[in-house]
Amino acid sequence: MSPARAITLAVLSLAAWPVSAAAQAPLPAQAPEPSTRAGQVEQAQAAKVTHPYQPGQVERLLDLIESTFIPGSGPHPFFRSAYSGGGFTLGAGYNQYVSLYNTLDTRGSYTFKGYKRIESEFTAPGLFNGRGTFSALGGWREATQVGFYGIGTANTSNEARVNYSFTQPYASAQLDVRPTGGWWIVAGGLEVSQWNTGPGEGSVPSIDTVYTPQSLPGLGAEPVYYHTHATIGLDSRLAPDYARRGGFYGVTFHDYSHPDDVFGFNQMTYEAIQHIPILRETWVVSLRARVETAMQKDGQAIPYFMLPSLGGGSSLRGFSSWRFRDRNSLLLQVDWRAMVNRYIDIALLYDAGKVTEHSGDLSLDGLKSDFGVGLRLHGPTTTPVRIDIMKGNEGFHIVFSSSAAF
Amino acid sequence: MPRVRIRSCLAAWPVLLGALALQPVFTTGPRFYADDPLEREPESRDASGVKPWNIGLMYELAVNLAVNERREPSNTRAQNINTIDEVPDSSWFTNRIGRMRVQAENLARGPNTGRPPAPEKWVIVREKSAGAQPGFTARDANGDTWFVSFDENERPQADTAAVVVASKIFWALGYNQVQTFLTTFDPSRAEFDPKATIRRPSGKRTPWQRRDLDAVLKSVARNPDGTYRAVAGRLISGEILGGFRYEGTRPDDPNDIVPHQHRRELRALRVFGAWTNLTDMKGGNTVDALVSENGRSIVKHYLQDVGSTFGTANGPRDWDIGWEHFYQRNTTKRRLLSFGFALSPWQTVPYSEYPSVGRFEGDRFDPREWKPQTPTLAHVEMRADDAFWAARRVMAFSDDLIRAAVHTGEYSDAAAEAHLATVIGKRRDAIGRTYLPAVNPIVEPRLTAAGALSFQNAAVDARFAEAPATYLAAWSLFDNATGVAKPIGETKSATPSMQGPANLPRAEGAYIEVDLSAHSDAYPSWREPIRTYFRRTAGGWTLVGLTRLPDQPGDTPASAARGQK
Repeated sequence: MSPARAITLAVLSLAAWPVSAAAQAPLPAQAPEPSTRAGQVEQAQAAKVTHPYQPGQVERLLDLIESTFIPGSGPHPFFRSAYSGGGFTLGAGYNQYVSLYNTLDTRGSYTFKGYKRIESEFTAPGLFNGRGTFSALGGWREATQVGFYGIGTANTSNEARVNYSFTQPYASAQLDVRPTGGWWIVAGGLEVSQWNTGPGEGSVPSIDTVYTPQSLPGLGAEPVYYHTHATIGLDSRLAPDYARRGGFYGVTFHDYSHPDDVFGFNQMTYEAIQHIPILRETWVVSLRARVETAMQKDGQAIPYFMLPSLGGGSSLRGFSSWRFRDRNSLLLQVDWRAMVNRYIDIALLYDAGKVTEHSGDLSLDGLKSDFGVGLRLHGPTTTPVRIDIMKGNEGFHIVFSSSAAF
Repeated sequence: MPRVRIRSCLAAWPVLLGALALQPVFTTGPRFYADDPLEREPESRDASGVKPWNIGLMYELAVNLAVNERREPSNTRAQNINTIDEVPDSSWFTNRIGRMRVQAENLARGPNTGRPPAPEKWVIVREKSAGAQPGFTARDANGDTWFVSFDENERPQADTAAVVVASKIFWALGYNQVQTFLTTFDPSRAEFDPKATIRRPSGKRTPWQRRDLDAVLKSVARNPDGTYRAVAGRLISGEILGGFRYEGTRPDDPNDIVPHQHRRELRALRVFGAWTNLTDMKGGNTVDALVSENGRSIVKHYLQDVGSTFGTANGPRDWDIGWEHFYQRNTTKRRLLSFGFALSPWQTVPYSEYPSVGRFEGDRFDPREWKPQTPTLAHVEMRADDAFWAARRVMAFSDDLIRAAVHTGEYSDAAAEAHLATVIGKRRDAIGRTYLPAVNPIVEPRLTAAGALSFQNAAVDARFAEAPATYLAAWSLFDNATGVAKPIGETKSATPSMQGPANLPRAEGAYIEVDLSAHSDAYPSWREPIRTYFRRTAGGWTLVGLTRLPDQPGDTPASAARGQK
């Protein structure tokens, strides 16, 4: 037995039943010898020193965790980065019921690169006889060194990376409804936010040292957006954040309205996800295809930081976050997951994709691709820990995430 | 040569004091008392000082999966058995099948001694306090209080039938069971007690509303006439104290002196659980209640929720329940290293699936490989003699009894009912085939006043083993006061009966010791004798002692009885 295992066993064992020995104290020395078996038992029962149950430290700790960290009440960890590419993220939140069913969750996170997020979200589940959820979110975030590598796929390189930063106050409201109570979903929402972009930090040049507002629309801009969006789709998954069967097929329309009519645009997102279980879900082949197309409004430009992009922990996982940007993007992903046990999956991963200026160029030619292996710790409906080691033609990337890729 | 029992050194081991209660091995008095073998475990102290407790789910899961899954059994003999290797009646257990003749009508009635619910009217008083199935607590038209639960939409009749059928089986096996009836619920006749409350997600209790009932009924199977099939469990009488733990003793219960992992009836749940696929054996599915008996408060222990039986614990996307613990090191490692290609049996076993039964099969079933969701310490500590004891009770269920129990589930699909009965029968036979021949299976030794010894072979009688070539009996005079045994002869026979030596004592109060073994090439373990003791009475010889297996690894039954290695 390894030392670590021995210590673990000893600690847990000792903590498990701390009072059992005391409960079985020896008979008093002067006790007369019973003359019957029943008398023997009765004497042992009389000799037992009773006392209330006292849980050990491990039990008290786990009981505390059970009562504190169950979803929906009290403090909770929060690992969502302010923005993709922020690195390893730590954070916490406090979820509080503000009525019988509705919650207010206040949370914040900080990444190793100094990205910050603080926000509060009001959630009202169970609307429309359990078929709808309304949420309202308000917060502020900061990302200090977001990568920009140029526009396009083939004509950009890792070496061309520059950084920019932004701060963003945001407020949004969203309603998700399953009108039939089945697979159909419709969703809609409104977000108001301001992107205050600026020079980037970090070890690569700041974006303003390489580009000008004329060469890169949106550089230095601080646009306010009224973002409305609507989604319709079919979702047969048990849960979006962990599924072994079922699929999602949906279309989302976005309208980014800029009050100054300078940076307004529309965007369509087409997404198809299918999980195919094999041999009683021993393996799951998960497929994803996503197309994003951004369409500029008359006389307006799409800022570089709002263009569809690929790269990062949930798209082209073997490439840096925001590695490829352009008006259109195509992403194809295949995960082959194997169930290790009820809480752990391992996976072989493959991604391919590209960005283009024209939607007609979204073909299977010239795709950037990567592959890798992954490990997921998951529950029935969530993936709180995902670690992917990916290899693309620009090197290895390790992804740490607190959610499923798709 | 006289042999002397060593009995002093172990008295210093206070942890084994519980064992002093019922086992003869380590006593400082005579080997046998006048009241041996005990038929009922005394509960002599008033337990009214016991306080309710809560067994945390996360803690129990952590202990079971992180500690118990790695534990090796201590090979400690069960400590609540009497001198003839049987479990006396107690607040935990009542000998029924295997001890007495259980008729089909007895089994069909099971624990249900009271009147069934009167479903003409239900008055909802609060939500359900236990169990995963949707339901609530309600009073029927008679004013009796019940825990009412329903079937999930996807598998009508499965959950309600499983609870009812399993409660009959576990009652017959000897466990305290909740009175459980199938009934109907008509929402149009439902009322709400003015004081009825429900705990909201926020933790606050507010009055029950019609929409709360709608929420419960939304996901459950409905009858064509708009009513709902339901199972009603009668409110347990007495003060509810929470569940019992499968490890240690309850420190505030003076009568609880045997560590629960060393109670045979709790160890035997490994066999009974395998038989019925009762996979969810956590403390939260048990109930202790403070009740008054014979003018004294005692704690009565219930195996409360036996609904995770047959195929019902496997959800639509579960195939591994009953085959693997929730976490298991060996299979985790195998699948990790093979990318899932090292298949486990559950991944390929064929099922004949009926929605009202679930995934439950008997052809590939191996009771030694069966796994509950998490292993309790009692599960770990089960020995071959415990399994043998349990297997005899399982084998006592005839096909007719099994069919009678299954019939109480009131399945509308006759094929499903027949399938369930067939699988239970197959699993019963697998248990008998596995555990009965594994140890010396000599049972029911009897000695007439004239010295004619007879016994039975449980494995041979059940047709799971060929009869041995020879049975051997080694006879000794036994001094009950000193523990000295003096050999007086050996006899043998090809059949399970033989005449004892001519020089057996005739004085009332005399004791003899008889080691019984069988010689079979197929079963070498049968050569290990069981040790029996008989006391001379006015009517002849009475069995007062039986040891089937030693207390510690390396011991033989003979040495265990004498404290010798």
